[in-house]
Formats: sequence, C-alpha cells, structure tokens
Amino acid sequence: MGGRDSTMVLLDENGIRCDGRKIDEPRKIMIKAGGLKNADGSAYIEFGDNKILVGVYGPRDVHPKHMSNTDTGILRVRYHMEPFSVGERKNPAPSRREIEISKVIKEALLPAVILDKFPRTAVDVFIEILQADGGTRCAALAAASVALADAGIPMRDMVAACAAGKAADTIILDVNNEEDQAGQADMPIGYMPNLDKITLLQLDGVLNPEEFKKCVETGIAGCKIVYELQKKALQEKYFQNGGDQ
Amino acid sequence: MAQKSVIDELKKSQILELLAQGKRIDGRALDEPRKLSIEVNAIPKANGSARVRLGDTETVCGVKIQPDRPFPDMGDKGIFICTAELLPLSHPSVETGPPNPDVIELARVVDRGVRESHMVDVSELVIEKNKSVVGVFADIVVVDYDGNLFDACSYAATTALLNSKMPKWEMKDDLPTLVEGAESDLPTTTIPVSVTMAKIGDHIVVDPNGDEWASMDCRVTITTDSDGNIVAMQKGGFDGFTLDEIIKCGELSIKTGAQIRETLKNAAKGS
Amino acid sequence: MDNRRKYVIPGDVVTTGPFRPEQNVVLEGNKIISTTVGVSEIYDDSVKVISLTGQYLPKINDLVIGKVISHSSLSWELDINSCYVGFLPAQDVFGRDFSAHADELTSKLKSGDLVAARIANSDRTRDPLITIADRDLGKIDSGDLVKISPSKVPRLIGKKGSMIQTIENATEAVITIGQNGWVVVSCENPEGLLKAKKAIQMVNEQAHVANLTDQVNEMLESKGES
Repeated sequence: MGGRDSTMVLLDENGIRCDGRKIDEPRKIMIKAGGLKNADGSAYIEFGDNKILVGVYGPRDVHPKHMSNTDTGILRVRYHMEPFSVGERKNPAPSRREIEISKVIKEALLPAVILDKFPRTAVDVFIEILQADGGTRCAALAAASVALADAGIPMRDMVAACAAGKAADTIILDVNNEEDQAGQADMPIGYMPNLDKITLLQLDGVLNPEEFKKCVETGIAGCKIVYELQKKALQEKYFQNGGDQ
Repeated sequence: MAQKSVIDELKKSQILELLAQGKRIDGRALDEPRKLSIEVNAIPKANGSARVRLGDTETVCGVKIQPDRPFPDMGDKGIFICTAELLPLSHPSVETGPPNPDVIELARVVDRGVRESHMVDVSELVIEKNKSVVGVFADIVVVDYDGNLFDACSYAATTALLNSKMPKWEMKDDLPTLVEGAESDLPTTTIPVSVTMAKIGDHIVVDPNGDEWASMDCRVTITTDSDGNIVAMQKGGFDGFTLDEIIKCGELSIKTGAQIRETLKNAAKGS
Repeated sequence: MDNRRKYVIPGDVVTTGPFRPEQNVVLEGNKIISTTVGVSEIYDDSVKVISLTGQYLPKINDLVIGKVISHSSLSWELDINSCYVGFLPAQDVFGRDFSAHADELTSKLKSGDLVAARIANSDRTRDPLITIADRDLGKIDSGDLVKISPSKVPRLIGKKGSMIQTIENATEAVITIGQNGWVVVSCENPEGLLKAKKAIQMVNEQAHVANLTDQVNEMLESKGES
C-alpha cells in the first residue's frame, strides 16, 4: 500500500482532512441495484471517486464438473481492475493483489449466502473496478451484496463494508487514497448488520490496543451507514410504491 | 460475445421470415443502426474515457497517457496500443481466463481501425527521440453483450480518444518529468467510424443485435475516416459475400459512418 | 388469516415467535428472517416471503413450459428456465411398453419443441423429473413463446385468474402460463396475438404499478394498436 509520506497534511488544526471531511465522515456514496441486461443480478457503486460495477450469475451449472459440490452450491468471486482504473495503467492480467482480494471478498460473502438448496451449481460474482481511489474492496463488497440480492440469491443478511484507519494519530472513518498512502493504518471491514458479525477484516499499519478497538468500532459505524444505502438501492428498484402493495 | 451463441432454429426462421418482408425482429429498417448513446469522461481520472451504449450492448473505454520507452526500431514514434476485453459479467457464456480467438480478433480489428486511419499521429508523441516517448493506451471493456461488439468498442475508443487530454513531459536528469498545468487535447487527425454488417440469408443488415449475430452467415466490419475513405476491413463468419454485396456494404459503411461520426463528434464536445 | 404484508430485504426480521418458517425465510434464534428481496406474509402459524427476484426453482406439481434441448435413447432433457434441467423419461410419453430399440424418441419430441409439462418430482440431488402425461399437457404445436420474470407469474394470473381471463377474453387468445415464467400465446387473429403479447409484457414490466389492471384494460380496448 505504498510508503508513508510525512509531508502531506492529513488533518489540519480544525480537524478537517485533506479532502475536506471530518474524522467520522465517509465520502459521498451512491449505490444502484440492477443496470446490466444479461447478468442475473447487478449493482453499481460510487464510493468517493471509486466507481465499481458488479454482475452476478447463478445459481448456474459448474464447469468443469469436478469443481461442483454435490451437497451445496459454490460461491466464486472475481475482483478485477480495468487497466484505466488506476494512476499508472495496469496490465490487464490478474495480479496477486486482485487474487487475494477476490478470496477475501468471497470469504466475506460466504457467511451470508445460503447455497445448500442449490447443489451442483455455482454463483459467480464478477467485480469490475472502473476507477479506483482507495477502499475499493469495501465498496466492491457492498455492491456485491446488493448484486446478490438483486439476483435473488438467498442470504441470511446483507454484507455492508467500510474502512476505518489512522492518520495524524487520529482514528478516521473511510480512508481515501492519499490517507492510505501517507497515513498510519488502514482497516477494511465487512459486516453483517442484523447478525452483528464481522466477515471481512484486514489491517495494514500500527495500532495500540485502544486505537484498535476504536478503529473497529468506527469502521462498524461506517458499515451501518453503507447498509442504509444498500437498503435504499434495493427499495428504489423493487418497492416503488412503498409500504404495502 | 463475439462468437456464435446457441440460437434455436425457431428464432432464426422467424428472423428470415421477417427479413423477407423487409423487417427486423426489433422493428428497425435493414440499414438502420440501433440507438447510440455516449457518456464522455465516464472515468474522470483517466486521461480520456467514454461509456457507450449501442442498443443493449455496452462498452467502456479508458485512455491512459503516460511516458514510455519507444520500440527498438521506432525511436521517433510514440506508442499507441488498443486492447479489448470481454468481461465475464457481460454474458453468461463468457469465461474468465486468456482471451479466445474471437476476442483477440475483436481487439485487433478495433486497434487497426484507429491505427490505419492515423487518428493518433504517433510522430507527435515524442519526448526525446530514441529515449522517451508518450504511450497512449486505449483499453476497452465490454460490460453488456447484445451483438456487434466491433462497432460498440470502436465508438468507445474513438470518442475516448477525442475526449483525451495529454499532459506535457520534459526531460530532466534523463527522466521524463511532468510539467504541471500544461495539458492539451490529444492531437487527433481524423475520426474513424466502423460499421458492421451481417448477411442473413440473402439480406444485409446494419448493426446486428445479439439474435441477428447468432443467426448470421457472415459479417463484415468496414471502417471509414472523416474524408469518406475506407481505411480498414474485416470479414468474418462461415459463409461468403458476393462482389455486389461487398460493394453495397462499402457504400452503407460510408453513409451510416457519416451519420455516426456526427454523433461521436457531438458526444466528444460535451467534455 | 392474518396476512400482514411488509417489504423486506435479506436480513430483515419478519417476526419473532412461534411461527413455522415456510418460504424464503430462515430461523435465527427466535427471529424469522427474510432471505430475499420481497413481500413478507404472516399467516396463522407460518411465515413466508414472496420473492420479487431470482430465477425459477422447480417445485413439485408446478405447471411449466419446457423446451427440448437434447435426448438420449431413454429420455429427453428440457430447458425449463432454471439452473436445473428437466428430465422427461421416454416411458412418460410412450407408455410402459416403451422399448429403446423399437421406439424412436424424435418421433414424438425433437430438439426445439415446446411442451406444457408438470414437475413430477423435485429433490435437489437430482434433476427435476417432468411429466407430460395429462390431458392438458403435451407438445405445443403452435403459439409464440413469451418470457417473463417468474416472480411476475402470480400477477399475470391475477386474483382467481382475473388478469389472464381479461386478456384472453379481450383478444380471443389461448394463453398457457408456466410457473417458470415462460408463457405460450396462440391466437388465430394476428392483431389479437400482438395485443395479448403486449399485455403480458406490460404486466411483466409494471407489476408493481397500482392501477396496472386499468392500464391493461385500456390498452386492450383501444383500436388499431400495432
């Protein structure tokens, strides 16, 4: 995640961050359910300057057959960045970072999805990062959860996500790209809001035990904000006349 | 996806029946392309970008412009590279993994359309001869598939390039260094427009949709430039065209190309 | 019947207490949670959620429209618009005296043929078993196939069949609705056929609209629609 640059002002004397936000303020977030014609389910998210599209297919046949499971459906996740999504053009071939993030997101969604009613099938989640600006894995996970709901994949809860971190010795919510590069810690969190379970958790940086606790709590508060927007996205698509049918 | 999808005979015979009456399954005239909508600067952090919807086919092109080393025997020329990728979310039959021949053909045809028209003049992209040049990368991704990826990708690339801003670099200590605030429009010389036509039975249709693509016997993609010259062609599919049919396709591509060129120009202006 | 209805998304608590979780819900502790985007309904002793999205999952006794995709010497495989492929044994069509040597499957059904069928058996360890051995089932000789979202089928049928009867009466079309979202429309009159198909698409696209019935009626009554 880059070296630490001590020259950038991440937090000024008024408690304002380098992009004008307060320490507990997330970036502007917009989530839309649906949008793709062919995918069984889809979602699009803008999280600050992140722009991410997710498409879901499934349950569907598994090829090659030996990868399928006779007792339950399987979940497959592919996190992929477009060459034009980052500052310096990225080679289209999958990097080790993308492969790791794909796995981590899959394991954040697995506790939520219920696939035992679909043996011998797979549910595929395709995440495409169109523009990246720090915190893509959280934004991607939030959108993936909406896309899965849009596809009708049964889930015991939604999975919301948001990162918290530390910059200028202060715990902050929703780390942007500059804060990730120059700050002191970055902690992406995935969280099931109704079941109160953390399903994605990573840390890059140095936190003492108190900071660690505060960081997790701050991240979960951010997840709850994201969850409201996930709900809104699904309501806008499916519950157009609100309340009762 | 660029390859034939499985279509039932019922649908193909429906298509042929309608064509015999001069109609298409979606109500278009035989020489009528689908609705084309373009959003420029869809990826603001890229140097240029465009999101294109041609009917229900959707593509996104992002242009990255950055310093690069020139090719060994071309020290006085910059680099222009165009790629295309079919994303697995665009259609249920798309698999992840290395690109198949259809996708490789798609990328190379789109690249040729831009390159052969000399839209990007690579001799204008030199920072220091033999040492440092500007690389222009137009990367296209297909996000939703409903036939005719050749044109949807071509329009995305062309509009993204028209929308692109090129930074300025100077050599300092033998390294290309960015000059702040000295951005300019990417110099372009012409506007290439591709038009793809499919032959179904004895009929030629312009801009085949997904069902027509799966029913066609063969297809040809013809790219024209702003002067009305034909700069690139590619025939594909398992059948052949007669000479008269190809001549007709050439004429269609110039006529339809001119109309689409106006759409691309207007879209690019909105940046 | 207490049929309190609520819009829910996955994870929403529908209710707590001694109810039997029936469809698209799970029990977590003493809470009954929705697993899908839909409308929850609470009955005397059970809870279910009607899903507003998701593909068709075969249920025993469902009437479906299927399309023959292949066959072996002993059975046909049918596309029933689901991730599971329908399995129609030759004996269902030829009877118990079926002989793999003597009886050629393609003489009865070949690839591309549409059938009105019923799900005879559906346990997830095997592909769903299909039957066409009833009077109202079998090969469909004529008619256009219209595809809608399976979640819109109840709306197309309407309360006690009211919506579908309205469309059939106004257009003189014969409409066979599969629970899997596939619908066959046949009509001798080409204008009636077009109107019927249009009405079906209207329901598919605007199922959530409050005065859909009025809008459909209006469209059906108008003259000269293309």
